[in-house]
Amino acid sequence: MSDDTTTQAEAPPPNTVTLTIDGQQVTVPKGTNVLEAAKTLGNDISAFCYHPGLSIAACCRQCLVSIEKNPKLQPSCQTTAADGMVVETKDERSSTARKQMLEFTLVNHPIDCPICDKAGECTLQRLYFDNDNQASRVDVPKVHKRKVVDLGPTIVLDQERCILCTRCIRVCDEVAGQHQLEMANRGNHEELGTAPGAVLDNPYSMNTVDVCPVGALTAKDFRFKLRAWELYMTPSVCTGCATGCNVEIHHQNGRAWRLVPRHNPDVNNYWMCDEGRYSYHDLRHQRLAGPEVDGLPSGWDQAIATAAEKLSAALSKERGSVGVVLSSQHTNEANYLLAKLANDMWQLENIYLGGKRPMPERADDILRDADTNPNTAGVKAILGDRAAEGIAALEADLIGGELSALLVLGQDLTLSPEAAEAVDRLDTLVVIADREVRIAKGADVVLANAAWAELDGTMTNRQGRVQRLHPAFPPPGQALPAWEIIVRLARAMSAAMSYDDVNAVFTEMKGKVPEFADAEWGRAARPIQLRFANSRG
Amino acid sequence: MSAKVLEALKKKLGDKLLATESAHTDDTAVIDRATLVDAATFLRDDPEMAFDAPVFVTCIDRLDLGLEPRFEVCFQLRSTVHRHRVRLKVPLQEKDPVLPSLTPLWPGFNWQERETFDMYGIQFDGHPDLRRIYLYEEFVGYPLRKDYPKDKRQPLVRRDDLD
Amino acid sequence: MADTKTLVLGHKNAEDFDRDEPIPNELMTINMGPSHPAMHGTVRIVLTVDGERVEAADVQPGYLHRCFEKEAEYATYTQIFPYTDRLNYVSPMLNNVGFAMAVEKLLDLTDQIPERAEYIRVLVGEISRITDHLTCVGASVMELGAFTAFLYALKAREWFYELLEELSGARLTHAYVRVGGVVKDLTPDFKERLSHILDKLEPVIVEMEGLLTENKVFYDRMVDVGPFTAEDAIAHGLTGPVLRACGVDYDVRKDFPYSVYDRFEFDVPVGTRGDCYDRYLVRVFELRQSIRILRQAMQQIPEGPVVIDDPRVALPQKKSTYNTIEAMIRHFKHIMDGIRVPAGEAYTFIEGGNGELGFFIKSDGSGRPYKCYVRSPSFVQLSSVSKTMHGHLISDIVPIFGMINMIGGECDK
Repeated sequence: MSDDTTTQAEAPPPNTVTLTIDGQQVTVPKGTNVLEAAKTLGNDISAFCYHPGLSIAACCRQCLVSIEKNPKLQPSCQTTAADGMVVETKDERSSTARKQMLEFTLVNHPIDCPICDKAGECTLQRLYFDNDNQASRVDVPKVHKRKVVDLGPTIVLDQERCILCTRCIRVCDEVAGQHQLEMANRGNHEELGTAPGAVLDNPYSMNTVDVCPVGALTAKDFRFKLRAWELYMTPSVCTGCATGCNVEIHHQNGRAWRLVPRHNPDVNNYWMCDEGRYSYHDLRHQRLAGPEVDGLPSGWDQAIATAAEKLSAALSKERGSVGVVLSSQHTNEANYLLAKLANDMWQLENIYLGGKRPMPERADDILRDADTNPNTAGVKAILGDRAAEGIAALEADLIGGELSALLVLGQDLTLSPEAAEAVDRLDTLVVIADREVRIAKGADVVLANAAWAELDGTMTNRQGRVQRLHPAFPPPGQALPAWEIIVRLARAMSAAMSYDDVNAVFTEMKGKVPEFADAEWGRAARPIQLRFANSRG
Repeated sequence: MSAKVLEALKKKLGDKLLATESAHTDDTAVIDRATLVDAATFLRDDPEMAFDAPVFVTCIDRLDLGLEPRFEVCFQLRSTVHRHRVRLKVPLQEKDPVLPSLTPLWPGFNWQERETFDMYGIQFDGHPDLRRIYLYEEFVGYPLRKDYPKDKRQPLVRRDDLD
Repeated sequence: MADTKTLVLGHKNAEDFDRDEPIPNELMTINMGPSHPAMHGTVRIVLTVDGERVEAADVQPGYLHRCFEKEAEYATYTQIFPYTDRLNYVSPMLNNVGFAMAVEKLLDLTDQIPERAEYIRVLVGEISRITDHLTCVGASVMELGAFTAFLYALKAREWFYELLEELSGARLTHAYVRVGGVVKDLTPDFKERLSHILDKLEPVIVEMEGLLTENKVFYDRMVDVGPFTAEDAIAHGLTGPVLRACGVDYDVRKDFPYSVYDRFEFDVPVGTRGDCYDRYLVRVFELRQSIRILRQAMQQIPEGPVVIDDPRVALPQKKSTYNTIEAMIRHFKHIMDGIRVPAGEAYTFIEGGNGELGFFIKSDGSGRPYKCYVRSPSFVQLSSVSKTMHGHLISDIVPIFGMINMIGGECDK
C-alpha cells in the first residue's frame, strides 16, 4: 500500500466499460446492453420484447432512451454500452416515448383482465401502471381477432391479447430449436399463429407461457384453475431427471398448482421442459397418509416396531441375505442415513441402487437427460468407493433366491416380472414409499414418507451441484420425511442415531462425503405470496 | 418540526447519538440502549425539553427488510408545555432483545411495554410487572414477529382444574 | 324461634355488639368480568378487596384482541379501512379519518386533499364524536341506575346512526373514508337532515343534564371518585376528556391542528378535580361544541370533488373501467397491488372520541404496510384505572370504568 497522500483513481478492471445513466456512473462488462446496465443501478427500464435469455428483437420499442449525440431515441436493449456514453432514461423525450408506446400497445387490447389468466402477473398491467397511467383516447371500435386458438397439445392462444413481442417465436427457435410459431400479416392485423404445417408440440412449449408478457398464451394445464395472486411460491428443484432444473412451486392451501422455472445461469438458465412441469400431478395420486402393516393402516409406533422386529430377525438369522435398496429418487440426507445404517451399523454386503430405468430416447442437448432419477450423482458420491449394484444385480439376486429380506427406499423400482414374483416370496419386505404403487403394494410394512415438494433436503444433479429443496406444504396425514423414518427405524433396532433436524444430517454428511465439501445449506425459504412479489413475466 | 430537540440531544449525547432522521414532520433519534435512560431522563427533566407525556412504545421487526439489527424499539414522547414531539429508536439484536424500561420515568409506558413484550418478545429491564397483556400465559411464541405465520395453530391448553 | 342476636357472630348479648374489637377479616380475591354488565367490551379485573374496599386491582384486557396489526400487515391500505372501523366501534369515522391521514402523510398528499373531502371528513368525524360521547355518558349512567337518561341518549344516537347509514350503508362499520378523500359524496339532503337532527339533539342534552347534573344521588356517586392530578395524568399518558377533566388544556384539534379544524370556532372544556363528575361534565360540554362545529362546517362546505385526482391513489370511474383497457388495468392494479406508498414511517394522530388516537405506519414501498401500530387512547386510559380504583369501594368501580370510556375494540385492537 503506498503512503502518498495524492489519491489516485483506481483503473477500471479490464474488459469493462464505464457509462453515465441518469447522472450516475456505472461500470459494466463489455458487451452489456444499456438496459442491463441500468438494471444494475436499480432502474428497470420498461421493455416487452427483451428477454435476457433470448436474442434481441428490438421490435416493441418500449425501452427507448435518450443517448447523447444521438438525434433519435435508441432502444436500450439493442444498444451496447460504450465508454463515456451518457444516457438519460427519465427525461421528457424518453418518458413521453414510453407513454406513447404503451398507448399504442393498448389501443386494440381487449378488456379481458377479469377473465385473463395473466392478471396479477401481467407485464402490460405493471408497465402501464408504473409508466403511463393516462386515460384512454380511443373512440373507435377495436380490431377483433380470434380468441381461442388451439396451438397444440399444451397451449391455447388468444390473438387479441397478443402484443406482438415475438418472445414465444424466439423461445421455440432458440431454446427448443424448432420453428413452430410465426407472425402473419401486418399493422393492425398482425397476428401470431403456427408455422405452415407445424403444431406447437416441442417439449419446451410451455416456456412460451412464462415469457409471454400478457395472457395471449395460456397453458391448458393451468388456465382457469386459479388466479395468480392467490398463489404462494416456494423455491425447489425439479425431480424429473438428473438435470435438476430449479423451479418455483406455486401452491395454495396445501396443494401445488403449477411449476415454473427459476433462473439459474449454471443449470437451466430460464427454462424447463414440459414433462418436468407436469411432475406436480403425482403429488396427489395414491398418496399414503400413514404407515401400513400387512396392507392395513397402522400407527407409526406399531409400524416401526413391526419393521424393526422383522429386520432384526432377518439380520440375526443370516446377515448375507438381507438387502438394502438406496434410491436415486430421494434426497442426499435420506440416502446418507440409510447407507450409514446398512454399511456402518449392519455391515451388509447387498446394497443396491434403485430408481427409474434410463430413457435414452428422452435425452437432448438442451435440458432433458436420459437419466430420469434426480439424485444419481448424489447417491454415488455418498457410497464413494463402495460401489452399489444396480437393478440388474438386484433382479438377479432376487430370482436366484439369495435374499430373504429387503429394506427398500422409494417405490419407483421397476423390476422384471420374474423379479417381481421373487419379491413376493421374500420373508420380509419393508418399503419406505410415498405412493402405494409397484413395490409398495403387498409389502409387509410400508412406511409413508413425504414427497419431493414436501421435503427439506438436498439433491445432486448431473453436474455434481448440490441443490436445496424447500418444503412447500406439509405431507398428507401422518407421513414423515424419509430421513426421520430411517432414524426412527434405526433407533428401534438399537442403533445409535440422533439428529435434531435435517440440517444436522446435512452437516455430518458434508463432512464425510468429499464431493459435498462445497455444498451449502442456505436459509430456510418461507412461502412468498405472489400477489405482492412483483409481477413475473 | 422539532429540530431543536434533535440539536439539543446531539449536544448532550455527542457521539452516543447514533443517527437522526427527520421525515414527514417526525423527528427521530437513534440511540444505543446503554444511553437510553440518560437520554430519556434528560428529555424529561430539562426545562427546554420538558417531555412529560409518553405517547407510545412499540417495536419494528426488520426481518423481511433484511436489515440488521433485527429489532428497533420506538418510544414516542410529547411535551405538553412546549408542544414538540420526538421519537427515540433503540436497535436490538435478535439474540439479545433486552433494554431498560422507561416505566420508572413515565408510568404511562407500563402497559405498552407489556404489549411490546407480548407481541415481539422484547424484555424490558426494570419493568415492575412484565407479563403478557393481550394473550394468555400459555401462548407459545411472539405473534407480531415476521417469522410467525398468520395461520399458525397454538397447542391446546390443559385445564387441570376440570378433572 | 331462635334469638336473632344469638345467630349473629355467635354473640349472645346485645352489649357485645358495642365492643371495639375489629371484626376479624382477611383480603378476598374476587373476579370481576370478563363477562360482566359493567365491564364494557370484556375486561377482567381481579380485585383484592378488604370488605368492600379495593386494595389492589389487576386489570386484564385482551379478551377482544383480534390481531389488527397482524391483519394489517397482510392487507392492502384500502382493505384496512374496514378493520379500522372495528377499532373504536362507536366512533368509527374518526378511526377511518385517522388512518387515511396517516397514509396520506407518507404519500405527501396531506395538503392536496380536496376541500370538500376535508369538510366531509370533519362532518362525519364530529358526528362520530357525538355518538361516542352519547354512548359513554348513556351507558355509564345506566350502570349507576339512571335508565331513563340512557334511553334518551341512545335514542338521540340512533338518529345519527340512521343518517350515517344513509350515507355509507352501515350503522357502525362505514369504511367511508379513503386515502385521498372519501368514497362518495354526501347524500343530497344530508345538510337538511343533519340540521334537523342537531335541532332535536339540543333539547335531549338539556333533558339528560336535567336528570343528572344537579342530581344529588348522581353527584354523590361521581364527585371525588377516581380523581387524578394533572401531573399524574400527563405522566400516565392520558389524553382526551379524561385529561381535560384534570385541568390540562390539551386537544389535538387546537394544539396540533389538522385537516380544516383551524377554520372553526369552538371551545375546549377543562375541569378542575379530575374525578368522574368532571369527566362527565367535559363530555357533555364537548357535545355542545361538536354541534357548534357541525353547524359551522355545514355553512362553510364548498362544492367540488370528493377524491383527489391522482391516478396513483384514486380508483377510476366505473364507466371508464368497464369500457377502456387503461382504466381497467388501473382499477385492477389498485385493488390487487394496493396503493404503492413510498418507503418511510410516520406517526399521525387525531383527536379521537377518547383522546389522542394515533397511527404509526411503516411502509416498505409496496401496497401493504410493513407495520401499522394503533396508539389507542382507551388502552392507555385503562392502564391508569388500577391506580384510581385503589381505596374506593367496589361500587365506585362502575363510574370509574364508565367514565374513562374504555371501548373494547380500541383497547384490545
